[in-house]
Amino acid sequence: MMHDAALTVLFYVLGAGAILCALAVVNARRLLRAALALMFVLLASAGLYLLLGAEFLAGIQVLVYVGGIVILIVFAVMLTSAADLLEDHPSPGRMLAGAVASISFLVFAGGVFARLELAAPAPGARPPADASAIGRRLLDFGSEGYVLPFELLSLLLLAAVIGGIAVARKTPPRDQPFTSGGDAPGEVDIVLPRSQRDEPEEPRA
Amino acid sequence: MLEFLAAHKPGHVEWLLLSATLFAIGLYGVLTRRNAVGILISVELMLNSAALNFVVFNRFVAPAACDGQITAIFVIAVAAAEVVVGMAIFVALFRHRGTIDVNRMNTMKD
Repeated sequence: MMHDAALTVLFYVLGAGAILCALAVVNARRLLRAALALMFVLLASAGLYLLLGAEFLAGIQVLVYVGGIVILIVFAVMLTSAADLLEDHPSPGRMLAGAVASISFLVFAGGVFARLELAAPAPGARPPADASAIGRRLLDFGSEGYVLPFELLSLLLLAAVIGGIAVARKTPPRDQPFTSGGDAPGEVDIVLPRSQRDEPEEPRA
Repeated sequence: MLEFLAAHKPGHVEWLLLSATLFAIGLYGVLTRRNAVGILISVELMLNSAALNFVVFNRFVAPAACDGQITAIFVIAVAAAEVVVGMAIFVALFRHRGTIDVNRMNTMKD
């Protein structure tokens, strides 16, 4: 009973925290604060995963989402911070449209959930769905395994990394299509001190 | 007090309502933000709530299986790839046009 009571308290505390931080994400005037609130939403979600018995997923959430994606978003905010867009004022019509769309979605989803009858889980001994089970499943070659999507995912990540570099690097000038972006020696425009230049010094008058 | 709390353990309806609420908040952000990075942040919120939904169904429908958790891992990885490409596009766009206001993105060529 103690366990159930703790589960209830933790669910409502974490859920309320996640919802409040999510409201801060969409309403914050400054995008850096929105990114910070997003980090707290993701941390609360990791806690909710722990409550659901998905310890491995909670670790992945903290490592990839909080450690990687939020940092990337903070970089994106800082690299694109135009002064006129720091304060993000949506117009009343836009706010109304967003509120109507999201509230109608919520009402519709709530109506579906209220009459949802989930099939009872099969009785019997349950093998724990822990990290080793997930790992075996991910690398299983059988018909129920996930090895093909898993490998495709690594290809997708590689393509995303290469594509990100190709898109975000500096655009080369038109007559020089394959510049290395200033790394090659011929493209660097450094003014050496006079003593290190190759040309002979001008004769002094 | 303890009995009351233990008797009101969250069932699948409460869990699904929580994730639907997070999804609706993310939808509101997508529809109201003008900055493209703000829209990306709201999309992350929606993706996170969808992953939470997968784990909830895994827990309440088939607790012995781990397919929902694996799908959630896939969602997280695809979200990472999406953020990388999205951020690269926004940085290139900002360098090219000087703004990432979605109201002023009305052309695909310069």
